[in-house]
Parts: sequence; C-alpha cells; structure tokens
Amino acid sequence: MFIKNKRYKMWAQMVLPPTLLTLGGCSNNGLYLLKPEGLVSRTFYHYFILDVVIMLLIIIPTTLLTIWAMWRYRKGGKGSYDPTWNHSNAIEAIVWGIPLVTVGILSYLSVKAIYDVNPYNPGVIAKVQKADGGDPVEVDVVATDWRWLFIYPQQHIASVNELVVPVGTPVKFRLTSTSVVNDFLIPQLVGMIDVMPGMRTKQALVADKAGTYIGYSADYSGAGLSWMHFQTKAVSAAQFAQWVKGAQKSTQHLSYAGFNRFARPYIAVGGDQQIFGNVQSGLFDYVIGEVMRGKVWPTPMAMTENMVNYMQKQRAEQKAGDY
Amino acid sequence: MLVHLQGPWTPLLGRLTLQQIPFHVPILVVTFIVVAILAAVVLGATTYFGKWGYLWREWLTTVDHKKIGVMYILLGLVMLLRGFVDALMIRTQQAMAVGPSSPGYMGAVHGYLTPFHLGQIFTAHGLIMIVFAATPLLVGLMNIIVPLQIGARDMAYPYLNALGLWLTTAGAALVMVSLFVGNFAHGGWYGFVPYFELSYSPGVGVDYWMWSFQLAAIGTSLGSINLIATIVKMRAPGMTWMRMPMFTWASLSTNLIALTSFPVLMVTLALLGMDRYLGTHFYTAGMGGNLMLYNDLFWVWGHPEVYFLILPAFGIMSEIIPTFSEKTLFGYATMVIASFAIGGVAWGVWLHHFFTMAAAPSVNSFYSVTTMLVGIPTGVKVFNWIFTMYRGRVRYELPMLWALLALFLLLVGGMSGMMNAFASSDYMWHNSLFVVAHFHMMVLVIAASVFGAVEYWFPKVFGFKLEQKWGKWFFWFMILGTGWVFVPMFLLGFGGMTRRLDYIHYTQWSPYLHIMLIGMVFYVIAVVFFVAHLYISLRDRAKNRAGADAWGSGRSLEWATHSPVPAYNFAITPHVNARDEWAWRKENGLTELHPGDYESIHMPKNTGVPLFLGILFMGLAFALIWRIWWLALLCVALIVVLIILRSFDHDTDMTIPAEDVEQVESDARDETSTAIRPAGVLGGTAIAHSTLQSGTGGISGSTSPSWTPMDR
Repeated sequence: MFIKNKRYKMWAQMVLPPTLLTLGGCSNNGLYLLKPEGLVSRTFYHYFILDVVIMLLIIIPTTLLTIWAMWRYRKGGKGSYDPTWNHSNAIEAIVWGIPLVTVGILSYLSVKAIYDVNPYNPGVIAKVQKADGGDPVEVDVVATDWRWLFIYPQQHIASVNELVVPVGTPVKFRLTSTSVVNDFLIPQLVGMIDVMPGMRTKQALVADKAGTYIGYSADYSGAGLSWMHFQTKAVSAAQFAQWVKGAQKSTQHLSYAGFNRFARPYIAVGGDQQIFGNVQSGLFDYVIGEVMRGKVWPTPMAMTENMVNYMQKQRAEQKAGDY
Repeated sequence: MLVHLQGPWTPLLGRLTLQQIPFHVPILVVTFIVVAILAAVVLGATTYFGKWGYLWREWLTTVDHKKIGVMYILLGLVMLLRGFVDALMIRTQQAMAVGPSSPGYMGAVHGYLTPFHLGQIFTAHGLIMIVFAATPLLVGLMNIIVPLQIGARDMAYPYLNALGLWLTTAGAALVMVSLFVGNFAHGGWYGFVPYFELSYSPGVGVDYWMWSFQLAAIGTSLGSINLIATIVKMRAPGMTWMRMPMFTWASLSTNLIALTSFPVLMVTLALLGMDRYLGTHFYTAGMGGNLMLYNDLFWVWGHPEVYFLILPAFGIMSEIIPTFSEKTLFGYATMVIASFAIGGVAWGVWLHHFFTMAAAPSVNSFYSVTTMLVGIPTGVKVFNWIFTMYRGRVRYELPMLWALLALFLLLVGGMSGMMNAFASSDYMWHNSLFVVAHFHMMVLVIAASVFGAVEYWFPKVFGFKLEQKWGKWFFWFMILGTGWVFVPMFLLGFGGMTRRLDYIHYTQWSPYLHIMLIGMVFYVIAVVFFVAHLYISLRDRAKNRAGADAWGSGRSLEWATHSPVPAYNFAITPHVNARDEWAWRKENGLTELHPGDYESIHMPKNTGVPLFLGILFMGLAFALIWRIWWLALLCVALIVVLIILRSFDHDTDMTIPAEDVEQVESDARDETSTAIRPAGVLGGTAIAHSTLQSGTGGISGSTSPSWTPMDR
C-alpha cells in the first residue's frame, strides 16, 4: 500500500469514497435522484438524461472552442492577429442559430415532460390506470409544525411520519398544511409539491419496487424543519391490507378537537411515529376550513429562540398519544 | 397596539429590553468584542492622525461620483466578508450535524448552531450577498465608470447619488446592528409567508429584515434613476447610442430593470409590514389573505433583480476581454441586442421560482420555455466573447484571468440553469442544493467579474495598479475553493438534499459535506491572499504607478483622462469620434492629455444632508423595528424638516476656476502621452470600420458622426 502516512489516509478516506461512489453510480451513495424507483421519478430521470446530453452537446464544444481560442490567440502565439475583424454574418447566424435550435428542442421536451409528471394528473400514471383500471389509494397529507400526518380516508386511519403505500398501485395525495408552507418530497418516488395552509394541492405516485424510501419537507418551515422527515414504505398489496387492519386496531383516535391539540408546534427529534386507529371523517377538509377562517397554531417565541429547553418542557407536558 | 405582540412592550423603549442583548450566545459576544476593538482602533486612529476633517470634507459629504462609487465598493467588500463568515458557519454546522448520533454543543441538539441561530445566519448570508454585497459592488462600479465612459463630469443628480449610498449603508448598518441588538429574520433571505407573519415569527428579526431591505431598495432605485438620466442625457458630444461602450449599455439595461422592478419590492415589503404592524391580512393563510400573492410579487422583483446583477457583470466582461485581446469587441450590435433581450425576458420568467406551487401544467410550460429563452442571448454573448479573442492577441493579466473565469463559470451556471428551467427536473430538486449550487455559480460569475473590474479600473481611480503576485494566488485559491465547494454541492443536489437544514438526517451525505468544508478552507486562504494583495499593492504603490492608459490597450473613453481621475473627470469635455474612442485617438495620434487653454468648470458642491438623512432613516427603521413610536415620529419630523431646509438651499454649486484646473492638470502624474504603450491596433482600418458602423447602424441613428478629432 502506498497510503501509509496517517494524514494521507485521512485525505484518501475523505476523497476516494465519494469519487468512486459517484463513478460507481448505483451503490448506496446517497444520490437518491439518480436512483428512481417510482413511475414519476423514472419519467423525470428519462427527461433529465435527455436534457443533460443535449446541453452537453453545446457546452462541451463551446468549452473546447474557448480553450482553443485562449491558447491559439495568446500573445506571442501562432494565431494571426486581425484587430479589425469584428463582424461576420455567418458567425452571427451560427451563434444565434445554435442556441435557438437547442432551446427549441429543449422547450418541446420540457413541455412534454411537464404534462407527463403533472402532479394533479400525471400523464404517465393516467396511462397506467387506463391499462389496468385498478382503484388508486387515497392519502390526505396534513403538514403541521413539524410533523406529517397521513390520513387514509378510505380506511379511516392515520399515520404520523410514516407513509405506507402498496407497490404498483397509483397513490393519490391531497395535501394541506396547518401553519406555514412545506414541500412534500420523496426523492426516489416523486418530486416536490408545495403544501400550503388553507389550500389543497395534489400529487400522485406509483412505487415500482418494495422498499423503504426517505421523504421530507423541502421548504423552510421553521425550527423543526430538519426533523420533519418521514419514511415511505412501499409494500405488496397483501402486506398493505394487513398493515391497514393492524392500524385499525389501534386504540388511539383522532377527532377534530384532538387534532387541534396535535397540530400545536412540536419538533419530532426522535422521528416520532404514531398510528391512529380511527380518524373522524372529513378531517382534511375541516383543517382547510379552519385555516381559511383564520385559525393559527402560533409558534411561541420561547420555542423559536430556545428550542432545546422548549422541547424538554413540551415532552414533560405531552406524552405521545395524548390527543 | 394594533396587533397582538408576544413579549413585553413599554412606551419608552418599545419591545427593547435588556434580554434582547444576546449575552448568552458566546459566538455573538466574541464577535461583539472583535467589532468593538476594530471600531475603537479605527476611531482612535482617525482621531490620532487628525483625519476627521479630511474624512468629513472628502468622503462623508462628497457628491463626487467616483468617491461615492469607492464607498459603495468598500461597503460591498465589508459586507462580502460578513456574508462569507456566515457561509463559513453554515458549512461547518452542516458538516458537524450529520446523523442522529452527532453531538451538539452550545444549546444545539446537533452541531453548534441552533435552528434559530442558523436561520438568522443563512437569511443574513443571502440578503447580505445579494443586496448589500453584490448590488453595492456593481452600483459602485457603474457609478465610477459610466460617467467616465460617456465623458460626463458627474452623475445627473449628484445629491441623489449620495442619498442612495447613505440609504443603502443605513440598511447594511441595520443588518449589522441586528447581530448585537435583538435578532435577524430566520427563514431565508426572500422571506416566506405566512412564516414571516407575526404568528410564526413573533420576534423583531423579520422587522430588521424588512426595514433594512426596504432602505436598500429605496437607495438602489434612486441610484437607477440617476444612472439612466446620466446615460441618456449626459453623454459627451459625438457619443451616439451606437458608440456607447458595452459596459454603459449594460448599465442602461440593468438600471431600466432596477427602476421598474424595485418599486414592486417596496410594495411587497410594505404590504408585509401592514400585516405585521396593522393586523391586515394580505399574506396570511386565513381571513382572505393569499400567500401566493407574496411569492408572485416578490419574484416579480426578484427575478429581474438577478439580471440586474448579472448584466453589469456581462458588461464588465465585454470591456475586459477586448482590452486584453487587443482587439475590438466582436458583434457589438448583437451584444447590445442581447443585453436588452436579457433585460426584457427578465420580466417573463419569475414563476420558475415556484414551479412547485401547483400551477397548471400550461402555466408551468409557459414559464419553462421563457426561462429557456434567456439561454439564447446569453449563449450569444458567450460566443461573442470567444470570437473577440479569436484573431486577437490575448494577454493573461489579472483582469483578463477573472473575466475568463467568469466565462467558464457562466458555462457551468448556464448549463445548470437550463437544467433548472426544465420544470419536470425542477420538481425533483426545486429547494435542493442543486439550485443553490446553480445560483452560486451565477453569483460567482458576478463576483469574478467584479474582482476583474476592480483590478481593471483600480489604476484609473487610484493611479496605481494592484500588484499581480498575490492577486494571482487569490485568483487560484478562489478557483480551488469554488471547485471543492460546489462540485459536491451539485452532487448533493442529485442526492435530493434540501436547503437550510440545521441537521442532516442521512449520513450518506456526510462525505460531500466534509469535502465542501475543505473547499471553505481554500476560500479562507483566498481571503487572506486578497488582504495581502491589497496591502502589498498599497505598500508598493510607487512602483505600480500607471498612466492614463493603464493597461496600454484600453479602448474606451475612460482611459482618455488622467489616472487618478481629477474631480471634474475631463478638463475639457471630450468630443467622441468613434466607438472605441481611445483606441481611435491612439491610432490617430490624438493622445495629448494636456491641451491647455482651460476654462472654469461648474461642479456640484459637497453636502452633509444625504448623510444625515441616511442616519435619520436608519433611526426611523430602528424605531419601527422595536416599535418605539415617539422615536419614529421624531425621525419622520426631522427628515421632513431637513428636506424642506435643503430645498431652500440654493448654494449647491461651485465653480472650479480655470487656473485651478490648469494647476491640477499640470500636476497630474501621467504627464506623457508618449509613455503610452502601442495600442496594438494596426492601421486605421479598425477604427474606420467601427466609426462607419456607428454612423449607420445606431439605434437612434439620428446623430451623424462628427469627424472632428478634438476641439483643438
């Protein structure tokens, strides 16, 4: 081994793994967007690669041209000197033409891609649904300060910070927030959609493969944002049914009044997950209505300014499941 | 009180209490001690050397566009350093706080900064870098160079110019005050609603953010009115539109953007202020408020602002590259069109800042396409710079190195920008580090151009060149830092890592975060080299004296006067004969800088009113932040009185007598025109060509070119 010196070793450890992993591509290097596991994210990936290849066709020659001009026409170099040369119709046509054509092609692809992954009705998912005609699973997502509540209105259950979806079945989300704007993102399955208070947005996904995927809020929503992540478990249809049955047995219930307590600012430092076995129906619409009427769950000054102290106090007061 | 406030309020001090002084945050206490010592040293030195009078007469009350420009640039550099320290803290925190088992210090769960503290840091970093570093640096450069390039004696409104400077400075000072009195906003520099409403941001931080932003916005708008008026009305005789240097064109385009967009920002912030102070519901989630309104309004300013920053940078590159290629700019008319095309498209792309806000696919398609359109004029500019070097004689001196770095960064930034414009991709990484890395590439284009411009025009303003050795070390370490910080950042973007995280849950990302930290070390070294660069240059200034045409191959009008430039810029108003006027004069042997037969010059007089207005506006903002109503009323009253008093002051001008002009001219150090190196322009053809064009292809096309070389 040539790496004997400790310092070199440290540097090598810092530099080599990420480089190799990046080159390796598919190993677990944390580059989640490059490992799509859902229909929507695969569609993104397809257009993304196209986009990059087309752009590189322009950028690489331009870079080489720049370097060539810099080298060839350096002072004392071999390039001929002609200070009067400042216009050429042919070159003008080319320098306007190349970007124009490129942008034309990319615009076409971009518009096509936007319709294919349109969160409200993704073209690719519509196609799948037409083909097999199965019913989608509906999930209502409520972002509070700073937790995710996933309500399954058809099953009357809810899950906190954990999303369970069946593989191969379209999942349709309706999303809203109690307080501020969050962004719903599961990098390997589906892109971002704003989650806004007093409003309803939509999103849809199909998971290709069983597995656990990371998800989190992507828009700044305050002190607890960094802990506002959730797990997405994609499971087989049978396992999903089983999970629903298990959840329905949970003795914890979520009523409108209970939700008002649940939605108070809370930082889920432990990634706190929870299951509600019975959710009062219409909770999602109730939340939107309340926010539109002016209901707020304000952030106490002490919480923003001294999060740790506040959390300790909060934990002493509030045991999980107390809604 | 009109709204419910958390925490105490007293009539005398408003919300200000002793608890608002952050004694308990060790980082801030140490910062305060350092700042206090520095301030004491500066104030002490000024007193010891008896320089207060000099400072007052020559700088604080000046209306000279060059001095105001220099002060803008100083402000920009100081704030750049502050913003850099913020960046350093963000990067260390993110490298430390990875994974659930990472330890926490000083009250943080992970790392050493609580979300509240980190929030203030990244908000300040963003606001400072955009509004108090990049903007003053570029406004300062435009202030200095535009009047020189068009042969004017000063700006159209010198008094307004000083007012703009002091209002911007007041805003910057408020950001600094927020370090030690109260706190700053903690949610991103562009503000989020309803997060920035009182319910979710109960402290004074957002008020600090809002009012310092507002002051800077007013200052910059005033500056833009001034620059537009100057360019339109004060060009020297013979300078037709199509003879204007590219930097002046870029300034015109950029200030048209500023003048039309900054008022939108003022309104946006004012509406947020009404929400916070009067209890209205413009941006609240409930009660009929609409938070989307804020995003639209903010980015209707915010996107044009981006081009407000990049266009002068392009203008700088268009000045430096021809000079050091010893060749005229390729495709001048195209460049003008491209500048205005970028300025025009700037108005139609703002929605790409919130592609994820669930607009209909048709809407997102429209803005995706318009955003891509920006790539066309930008691409044309890149090609034109390359073809400017083509058939040139490229000299790699520092300004040129910076300009070329800007060009290469623009290729990376442009490519990633086009990737962002692809809305389906943007859905995946909208708030991720990919976007952060992209716009840092673009602001580094600006930074590289600004450093290039400072190197390039420094001898014009101060009469000596900056030395090259340490400057080159600075240059190369900036490149090292940029590579090590932003390549991992792009990769993290592909990882889906989002912005503004206080704690990173996924340990897979930690190697990248550590590499970025190494990049920050390179940046720190670069800053040290920069300081050394300035210090050595100042020490050895006698060695590096420069003549009027400091680089020997200058082309535009600013090189046709002495270095350093006298207060009145040109002893005799120049008559412009060609697009590259100075190159033309060198060609035709008309480089005499001492024509003699001077006349007295009419100039604006110094005034302290803008400085006092700046201080009063800062006092007003401070009072509003802390809701000290009596102080706010007092400040408003004093401002009104001061403005009225000033309007009755008719003694605002002075005349520099001819003999003084003669004295200054004969004392100018760059005596000889023979000392100027050959311009590297062969024959008269280059010039004949450009003059022909300016006569025929101008936008206005009305002013016929005058062939008289000079008045004498």
